[in-house]
Amino acid sequence: MAIRVNPKLIDDLEKYGAEDVQNCYHCGNCSAVCPHADDVFVFPRKPMRHLQMGLEKKLEQALEPWMCYYCGQCSEQCPRGAEPGETMMSLRRWLISRYDFTGLSRLFFRSTQAEIVAVLLVALLTGAGALLYGFRRGDIRVYSGAGAFLPSSFIHVLDLGIALVIFAVLAINVFRFWRSSLAGSGALSMPWWLYLKKLYLLPWHFFTQKRYAECDNNRLQSIYPPWLFHLGIVAGYVTMLVLVMVFLDSLQAGPDIQWSVHAFGYLAGIGLLAGSVYMLRLRLTKARVQYQRSHGSDWIFLVMLFLMALTGMVQHLLHRSGWLVAANITYVIHLMIVVPWLLRMPFTKWSHILYRPLAMFFAGVRKAALQHQAKTGMPVGQMRQAA
Amino acid sequence: MATQDLKIGVYVCNCGTNIAQIVDADAIQETVSRLPDVVISRSYRYMCSNPGQEMIVKDIRELGLNRVVVAACSPRMHERTFRNACRTGGINPYFCEMANIREQCSWVHADKIAATEKALALTRGAVNRVRYHEPLDPLTAEMCPSSLVLGGGIAGLTAALELALAGQPVYLVEKTERLGGNLARVDLTAPYLYSARDLLSERLTRLRQTPNITVMLNSQLKNLSGFIGNFSATVESRNGSASPEVKTISVGNVIVATGYKEFDAGRITHYGYGKLPDVITSFEFEQMLRAGRIQMKNGRTPQYVAIIHCVGSRSKEFHGYCSRVCCMTALKYAHEIKSALPGSYVSDVYIDMHAFGKGCEDFYKKSSEVKTLFLMYGKNERPVIRKSDPGDDCEMLIEVDEKLSGERIEIPADLVILMVGMEARPDAGEVARLVNISADKDGWFIESHPKLDPVATTTDGIYIAGTCAAPKDIPDTVAQARAAAARILARIAKGKIEIDGVFAEVNEDYCSGCRMCNELCPYSAIEFDAVKKRSHVIPAACKACGACVAACPSGAIKGRHFTDQQIRAQIEGVLA
Repeated sequence: MAIRVNPKLIDDLEKYGAEDVQNCYHCGNCSAVCPHADDVFVFPRKPMRHLQMGLEKKLEQALEPWMCYYCGQCSEQCPRGAEPGETMMSLRRWLISRYDFTGLSRLFFRSTQAEIVAVLLVALLTGAGALLYGFRRGDIRVYSGAGAFLPSSFIHVLDLGIALVIFAVLAINVFRFWRSSLAGSGALSMPWWLYLKKLYLLPWHFFTQKRYAECDNNRLQSIYPPWLFHLGIVAGYVTMLVLVMVFLDSLQAGPDIQWSVHAFGYLAGIGLLAGSVYMLRLRLTKARVQYQRSHGSDWIFLVMLFLMALTGMVQHLLHRSGWLVAANITYVIHLMIVVPWLLRMPFTKWSHILYRPLAMFFAGVRKAALQHQAKTGMPVGQMRQAA
Repeated sequence: MATQDLKIGVYVCNCGTNIAQIVDADAIQETVSRLPDVVISRSYRYMCSNPGQEMIVKDIRELGLNRVVVAACSPRMHERTFRNACRTGGINPYFCEMANIREQCSWVHADKIAATEKALALTRGAVNRVRYHEPLDPLTAEMCPSSLVLGGGIAGLTAALELALAGQPVYLVEKTERLGGNLARVDLTAPYLYSARDLLSERLTRLRQTPNITVMLNSQLKNLSGFIGNFSATVESRNGSASPEVKTISVGNVIVATGYKEFDAGRITHYGYGKLPDVITSFEFEQMLRAGRIQMKNGRTPQYVAIIHCVGSRSKEFHGYCSRVCCMTALKYAHEIKSALPGSYVSDVYIDMHAFGKGCEDFYKKSSEVKTLFLMYGKNERPVIRKSDPGDDCEMLIEVDEKLSGERIEIPADLVILMVGMEARPDAGEVARLVNISADKDGWFIESHPKLDPVATTTDGIYIAGTCAAPKDIPDTVAQARAAAARILARIAKGKIEIDGVFAEVNEDYCSGCRMCNELCPYSAIEFDAVKKRSHVIPAACKACGACVAACPSGAIKGRHFTDQQIRAQIEGVLA
């Protein structure tokens, strides 16, 4: 069965950042230098070819873009300036928008303005709502406990509400991701228990981001700094998320704040601030090829992350210093960033916190399925084809 | 015809170690020194070097040598060198003979003793032969300064202008009713996107301003006789309904620039050319571009344009060769389509991208940058074009196995352009026969040497330029045309033509006028005199191949420098 070529795809991907993919003439240097490419997942060359040819179906099934952590070696090696690393990055954006059933993702990635407008709109609504609630129910001079301007019970309900929406959307998107990559037309026949066998990959990659640490085999340091800072951001974010979602009461408590909450809070804050400042600096100085072509969505992501951590920290310090009015105002500002940040999660770059480890899990399953098929006697040629 | 007092000098070259490491040169020198009439024999490191040549000159002058034998490399390499040494020494250059003990001996044998014996035999043969050498003198003939150029395309125009601007008269014969050839059918040219119209009008304006070019339109060469410097050409011109006018003109040289014909796309059935309305050839597309409107048969603007390369070229079935210009022309189309229809998508379905010319690789890269979709198919595979299904947003689908991805794909297309290759014109064989040159299996005219002499042919005074010799692009065509003109101008500048003293001669007393030789001569060098009923050889056209000498039933033809006596003596020497 012939696959239909979509000549328009290349124009579409340009909006996601893949501007130079047509320069590629398939020498394969990129795949040779990539520390992550292997026999089953041949990239960046293969997805680049599929993109050039406009083979949408093939790309929708692809896990390869998720296998790339963009160390930039491929782009440095490329003799034609086809930017394979940037192409993988753009494909990840495109895939996020493909998994997303709402179409918001597509809108945001293709138009930074639209995303900014949406963020501002949600921020203003949140701000207005918070002020309205605070002035009607509370006292701006009270930060915690009874009569607080924004009591933790109210924020907790708000958080849970948002979480519900996000999980509903994410569940559908993750299902679509699974269907297109493992269960769709290119599905491999395999026993279900392979999923169980490989399930450990999901938490493993979520918490370690181990493959990122293996990037850039030319580096001089034994530890890859971007991985370390990335780990800081993820760990800080997850810690903070747990604190906010579960221990909000303790977090927003008065002077006698629990030492454990305190410690975790500071650690998370430092991880987020240091990580976002480091990443922003890399993108501003454009020190290496992977930081030279920041997409609008990258900036929005980092700037919001930084502001969110900063306002959170400032709010806490003001509270501890006894400037409660200022702390409450900062809290409102903090919420104006947090709410749009959380709501846009399934549609933007941040969704990779879920998709990336999921992709590692799916990739493990696919490899196991191929091995299983090889054992049960399926010809190798067909196996590769299926991959 | 041995002279009374023969004094032969024999020189055995070592060619560094090329000869000496297999052949014992000193032993040969020693042995031949004992042969009758050999006055001196020497073995030397490099006979072709200045000291080597001076050795021969000195010996001729001091020892009074009147025959020289050099046992060294092939005469193709250095016969001229040693003949000149003889001339400098003061004897007739044809009193020199070479024994080839390098290419035919040391380079092809490993057994030193056997090789030395063979080299000795060859040298003995040469010594025996040289006794019978006769003094020969080169002939000269007049050079007519006019030239005949066949074909009014870019090659013919350029060659004619080059000759005429140097002050020499030119007859430019064009078969059709206008000048410009295939270039006149083209819109822009790759890779710099110069307008073909501008290129041609520059040439044509120059042509009109140049007085000594006689342009003959609707004309064809009907006969060509004579030899270099002295051809007589019969040209037939048809003007309107009047009966053809036949003119005979005298020319010294001829440039054949008859060009090519495009491949007939209808010969490949699976492209649907002639059946699917929007499958067109590259030349039909050029017509659209020249008219300034890219459209489908139904008048709509195409959204998807597909270009298929190598139509008729590089295939087992049709032509095995590459037509060289289609790849860059296809890229040019991609640029022109993208600039005329910014909303369109161009798929370029190719086998290999041949971007060898100056500026072409950059042009290829630029075509990638305008987002041309490059899809590769395999040699001897065939993309299949079919009508699309209802509901598709395109008119046709091209199904092909894509090489770089290994996927079977279908490419949407509203307009399909077939890049038809070049082939020899149907009348190429007739032209070759008229001007007495050869064509290869594909019908392209053969040059004298594919690398070192790419504009001359095996017939002196006949040159080839442009795509009649093989597919080539405009820069190569123009370069070849100018080179051919330069060769002719050099010949004209010399004033007279020097003809090698080695040619066949008919003894008219013995000739029976059977005309067997006339038919046999591969160079048309033998004319029959109807009045005398005898044949005679035109020395300038004769290549001294000896076919007529061997064939003549009356033994009336003698090959100068290859007489029976000389050859027999040589054989006897080898076998002695």
